[in-house]
Amino acid sequence: MSSEPIERRVSYLGDRLKASRCQICGKEYFEVRDYCSDCGRKSYLKMSAVDLFYEKGTLELCTLVTEPTNKFTKLGSYVYGIVSFHGGKIRVPGRLTDQIIKKDENVDLATLEGREVVPRFRRRYSVNRTDVVPTISLAFTLADEYYPHQEYKVAAQNKEYELPGIVGYGVYTSRFRIKEGGIERAVPFTDEDSVTAAVEAGKTALIHSGIDSSHVGKVYVGSESNPYAVKPIASKVAQVLQLGEEDGDVQSVDAVDTEFACKAATSMFKDAAALVNYPASGIRNTMVIGADNSQAAPRGCPGGELDLFVGYGGAAFVFGKHDVIAEIEGWHSVTSDTPDFWRRDGEQFPMHGGRFTGDPAYFKHVKKSVTKLMGKFKLEPQDLDYFVPHQPNPAFPVKVARDLGFKEEQYICSLQVKKFGNTYSGCSPVGLAAVLDIAKPDERILVASYGSGAGSDAYLLRTTSQLLEKRKRQKINVKQLAENPFAQYVDYTTYRRLKQGM
Amino acid sequence: MQNSPAIVAVGRTKFGEHYGKEPEKLIEEAWLAASRGCGIERKDLEACYMSDCFLPITNKLGLEEGFLSELTELHVPMEITRSVSAALLTACHAIRAGIYSTVLVGGIEKMTDRWDKIRDDLMLLEDPWSYYAGCTPESNHELMLRAYAKKYGITGEKLEKLNVALAQIAVKNHANATKNEYAQYQRKITLEQVLNARKAARKALGLYDFAPISDGASALIVTSAEKAKKLTDQPVYVLGTASATDFLNYPAREDLTHFMATKIAMANAIRRAGVNQKDIQVLELNDQSTMMDMVSLEDLGFCEEGTAWKNIYDSYQDYQGYLEVDGRKLFINLNGGLKADGNPLGATGGAQLFEIFKQLRGEAGPRQAAADSTPQYGLSNEFEGFGTKSYVCILGRN
Repeated sequence: MSSEPIERRVSYLGDRLKASRCQICGKEYFEVRDYCSDCGRKSYLKMSAVDLFYEKGTLELCTLVTEPTNKFTKLGSYVYGIVSFHGGKIRVPGRLTDQIIKKDENVDLATLEGREVVPRFRRRYSVNRTDVVPTISLAFTLADEYYPHQEYKVAAQNKEYELPGIVGYGVYTSRFRIKEGGIERAVPFTDEDSVTAAVEAGKTALIHSGIDSSHVGKVYVGSESNPYAVKPIASKVAQVLQLGEEDGDVQSVDAVDTEFACKAATSMFKDAAALVNYPASGIRNTMVIGADNSQAAPRGCPGGELDLFVGYGGAAFVFGKHDVIAEIEGWHSVTSDTPDFWRRDGEQFPMHGGRFTGDPAYFKHVKKSVTKLMGKFKLEPQDLDYFVPHQPNPAFPVKVARDLGFKEEQYICSLQVKKFGNTYSGCSPVGLAAVLDIAKPDERILVASYGSGAGSDAYLLRTTSQLLEKRKRQKINVKQLAENPFAQYVDYTTYRRLKQGM
Repeated sequence: MQNSPAIVAVGRTKFGEHYGKEPEKLIEEAWLAASRGCGIERKDLEACYMSDCFLPITNKLGLEEGFLSELTELHVPMEITRSVSAALLTACHAIRAGIYSTVLVGGIEKMTDRWDKIRDDLMLLEDPWSYYAGCTPESNHELMLRAYAKKYGITGEKLEKLNVALAQIAVKNHANATKNEYAQYQRKITLEQVLNARKAARKALGLYDFAPISDGASALIVTSAEKAKKLTDQPVYVLGTASATDFLNYPAREDLTHFMATKIAMANAIRRAGVNQKDIQVLELNDQSTMMDMVSLEDLGFCEEGTAWKNIYDSYQDYQGYLEVDGRKLFINLNGGLKADGNPLGATGGAQLFEIFKQLRGEAGPRQAAADSTPQYGLSNEFEGFGTKSYVCILGRN
């Protein structure tokens, strides 16, 4: 579809699954309606909004699609059916996603019918590379498999902290994995990309923080695999997650994409924290997301050496001053013009400086930001409970941690690169989330990101007692994502195909 | 019926792939055949009601009426509808109102000109939301079949019988089409072929359960009753036509097992026609799929809900040319149905009415219904979309 107005209307309704309920008779419609068809004009202005985005439905009926229409051929075979919400009051068409059905595989439809499903925000179908990327939430995953259904409840905000910090976070990685050379890496399903990962991560962060999404005044999305050269991911995130007050079909929120290779997200932590601390801003919360469908040329091609490490996924952090789980005590950032990794405009895959990416790039910048920050706070390695280094491959973070004098127990639990691969902008954020998953109150965490080009941000965080309170809301954490019984392993050819996407 | 409009002549093209023919050529062919049948000439036509579903998409024809005018040198009122049934319904209203006495009703479709994209077009126009969610033109038929089996508790051996019954519909339709010179597939198929195609597709319905994609045209000359009597000894009267509309979005409909639009249209058509349903012997069902054939029999009231598959199974095991329900013989899709005759959407309804016209006049040759006498009444049911619109037209000899 190339019509922008149609695309925008479909996205507005379909990305979030907006529905309406008649307050007189209770009838529900999958659509935003001004009046009820049954009650007529007396129901005008008596329709309330129904939001299916955080709900789970039931797969009522389904069938197998083995010969999709042209725009769906890249999905191969899939299960399509009817999903009902609210005991059948609303029925919508939908397809099951995150399932690879082989060419001669029989699917027992009867066992799928009646199962609970969760709407997933995904790409809708294939379009030309010049067209708007269409998305929709009429894709569903089984509620009791890889990623469980989680309710979103807005919690009362109690304690105000002196320093702003993280009030909630969420991680998203896909169900598919490739296992090679001793490491596992997350592989997106065909209908996923950096935009869908950003939305899913943001969704879980909202659930975990318990804040009202309308309190988010600004959202930053860092990614180096935005499907667009011009058009923000953040606008999609803001609209789908309804960040800021909704007014008509416009959100009262500032949304911006940031770019600095792998530190595009971490760079904004301080800005996000500063904004909620600025008295005149009127902003209670901000959100920073780092998400990537990390790109690499196929093996054997220039830039193909990255193909051994690239992953998929992201993490989102909500910042605020109320019910903080980790206060930001301080930071230090360094930058130099070091072209160790780059992608020219219009090119599909990034190039890599080889040997040059180590000492003069990663190690120099990470060590500098960390030592400067520790110096500022007069800290020795043993004063910290956790060290979260940026982790582009399994070797670099271990070496930099050792060189800086950290012990294995301080950094080992942050290392996720062997489980999800290098998720670029989501890389050190996912590591930080893994540490927050297990940290105790009043512990100190030092996280150091690295972005090619080059720079590093080091942050000093101190956890609070709220960490344990909010942990109860998590239905799944990073460790459970990594060791998930529903994760599915694919071979190299499938991995390249899935990564290519719609 | 003294005042009913009447069909005085019919014409059609062969259905199938007409690679080398322009859309205009097809309708010309159908019109000429109809014209020859009754001595009506172009200058006698007072209006044209034509139908096509896709010409603006498949052939980029925006104002189809203009093409028709150029072709015929006619400057009479012309209107485009989406199906021949819709065109006929509109034409009959005008004739009954006394506005016209001679009208051309016809339809045309050229789907194969857009062979590579037609399934996307079909699905997107059938229902955008379902299309966005990954629906194919076949999916809803399969879902309705599952809903049907669930609702009526059809499992195990019964379900196997139902599946065989559906396969028999396809086999029967292909057998009928061997006697139809206009049919797209004039060859027999076997039960095994139908079942194997399902196995290959790993689904309850396979290739042979669905109507094909076709090109073709059809034309009917419709006049007032008065005029008809002057033109022919055997006018076929349009006794009652009716249509009804349902939601675009199949999942949102209340009943997932039946077509509400057909039920409403049938009730109105039979009331208008003043015919006893038991006297209707010839049926032309819109079998976009074998499932649709079965469910339509129930929606039209010829079989009880949840039981049509039993009648089909019993009657078609050793097909004698009809479906037996409570000792009555129903002659269904004697032209081969959409399955074997072909389904050029905008022209399909014309082929259905063509067949009933021929059957009621006893002119169907080898296809003639094996009834005790020439049938009195016939019924045609046509859909637009997956049950979004349903048209019922009851024709009779007097």
